[in-house]
Amino acid sequence: MTLLLGAFTIGLILSLLALGIYISYRVFDIADITADGSITLGASISAVLIVGDYNPLLATFAGFLGGMAAGTVTGILQAKFKINPLLSGILVMTGLYSVNLHVMGKSNVPLLSGTSLATWAERLGHTIFGDLDYNLLGWMVSVRDLVMLLGAFALIVTACLVLYAFFRTNLGTAMRAAGDNPQMIRALGVNVELYRIMGLALANGLVALSGSLLAQYQGFADAQMGIGMVVWGLASVIIGESLTGSRSLGLAIYGAVAGSVLFRLLVAIALRWGLNPNDLKLVTALFVFAALVLPQMMPRWKQSATLAKAPR
Amino acid sequence: MLSVRNVTKTFHAGTVNEVRALRGVSLDLPDGAFLIILGGNGSGKSTLLNAVAGCFRPDEGEILLDGQDVTRWPEHKRAKLVGRVFQNPFSGTAPTMSIAENLALAARRGQRRTLGWALSHKLMSEIRDRVRELGMGLEDRLGNAIGSLSGGQRQALTLLMATWLRPSLLLLDEHTAALDPKSADQVLRVTEAIVKRHQLTTLMVTHSMSQAVNLGDRIVMMHRGSVAYRFAGADKQRLGVEDLLGRFEELRRREMLDETAASLLEETYV
Ligand SMILES: Nc1ncnc2c1ncn2[C@@H]1O[C@H](COP(=O)(O)OP(=O)(O)OP(=O)(O)O)[C@@H](O)[C@H]1O
Ligand SMILES: [Mg+2]
Repeated sequence: MTLLLGAFTIGLILSLLALGIYISYRVFDIADITADGSITLGASISAVLIVGDYNPLLATFAGFLGGMAAGTVTGILQAKFKINPLLSGILVMTGLYSVNLHVMGKSNVPLLSGTSLATWAERLGHTIFGDLDYNLLGWMVSVRDLVMLLGAFALIVTACLVLYAFFRTNLGTAMRAAGDNPQMIRALGVNVELYRIMGLALANGLVALSGSLLAQYQGFADAQMGIGMVVWGLASVIIGESLTGSRSLGLAIYGAVAGSVLFRLLVAIALRWGLNPNDLKLVTALFVFAALVLPQMMPRWKQSATLAKAPR
Repeated sequence: MLSVRNVTKTFHAGTVNEVRALRGVSLDLPDGAFLIILGGNGSGKSTLLNAVAGCFRPDEGEILLDGQDVTRWPEHKRAKLVGRVFQNPFSGTAPTMSIAENLALAARRGQRRTLGWALSHKLMSEIRDRVRELGMGLEDRLGNAIGSLSGGQRQALTLLMATWLRPSLLLLDEHTAALDPKSADQVLRVTEAIVKRHQLTTLMVTHSMSQAVNLGDRIVMMHRGSVAYRFAGADKQRLGVEDLLGRFEELRRREMLDETAASLLEETYV
């Protein structure tokens, strides 16, 4: 049960990563690998501020802003310097690795000494549920696990609502249109390059926020924690799309969250069944590969099947 | 009011692919004028419209709109003054977004995009009314993705979008060419109605002689990046399809003559 609650919580926290990837990959059609660096950036900024006894809300927000800055740089490389989108992301991600080490001053920062959002949640949990384990539908769960899950859930729901609302404002609809049909929205007076930069900033801000929360939940930030996160986010987005079968805005946002949680649960179960943790990234990559290729293969298979059947 | 003064544009200058798409084109359109642009394939019609819309900077010349020199304005800034419908029905709308959202985007053409709701109740009812006027029954499907509509329906909506806020200039680049005859007719009727109602200054490219004869109050015929013939006023009114075809034939013969002359020179001197 503890395993399940933990997987659920991490799935929820990483759904912010999935939402960020949804923005860059689905709205703007860019596989933005900056995310690998910005998730760590969010984590390290928040970690350092929390250890330095700053307000955890401030620390979290600062992490978010750090991600936005990283996304802005990637966007400027693409829009102003006309560097290939993939390469722009790779450049910024690579640069961020050093930046993150500088921010943290070492490769790993434990949060034991500071007050984080997790500490707040725990305190609140103990005043509500008492100090002992809590009986959840017949399962005994630790109050910490429970309250983390509830806290993450509340945060993610809020983030989704805000994001949904944003994408229905004048600015937000124009941003979606900038991804959907740049020629059209430019003819309607939108500076498409600027909007791409803003979109990537928002995407990486969300990714960094995810990193910040993850660090606070697991109690440390680590220079290596971002490796493979883009692929992780892609997997979540793709699972979410197959769950909802729709690209409508509300369902897509819901799908990214549901996909992230489901994927994390699947991984937890696979690890429990004896999947070697070292193989995890390979399995994730293979999964995304399959998800990208299968939809293209399907019609071809069908076609060759009908061709084979057709009389000569 | 639009003035195009001596605009030239050469693509891939200095390479083997060099194309002199515009060779000193000048136009003057007073307010409310409706100009039809004719010309063969590759004569520079689209390039001229793109120059006016600001897709690129001309190599030489000036473009004035509403008395302002807009030659150096980027495309998105010119959009404040210019409404546009493309030849390809897919170009003018954001396919995954709803009909209503597309129109809401157009309702703020050239204005600041704020954090206010894109689809207020007021705008929504206005959208319903104006879409109903198209007479296509789309007012009941405003929530549908615009990508699910036919080319004709999309072009009619794009036209509505381009003119939602009255543009100083409306650019139409063969906007009925990709449609079947019936939809083309329908879109053309909508075009006429909108242009007339708002007294729009309009530039329309077409390959259809009958459209050229029946619409507009002046004609420009382009050939190899320059204006070959102009008709306006009573001349334009008198013009028939036969006359226009005659002019085309004349241009074709002149071109053949050019080529014969060129090969003659080549044979003699090379
Ligand atoms: N962006 C571009 N880059 C290079 N060459 C271009 C570009 N745009 C147009 N051209 C060239 O300029 C010339 C004029 O093209 P344009 O599209 O203006 O012709 P058109 O009169 O619109 O023809 P059509 O009737 O076929 O639409 C053509 O030779 C075309 O290949
Ligand atoms: Mg053309």
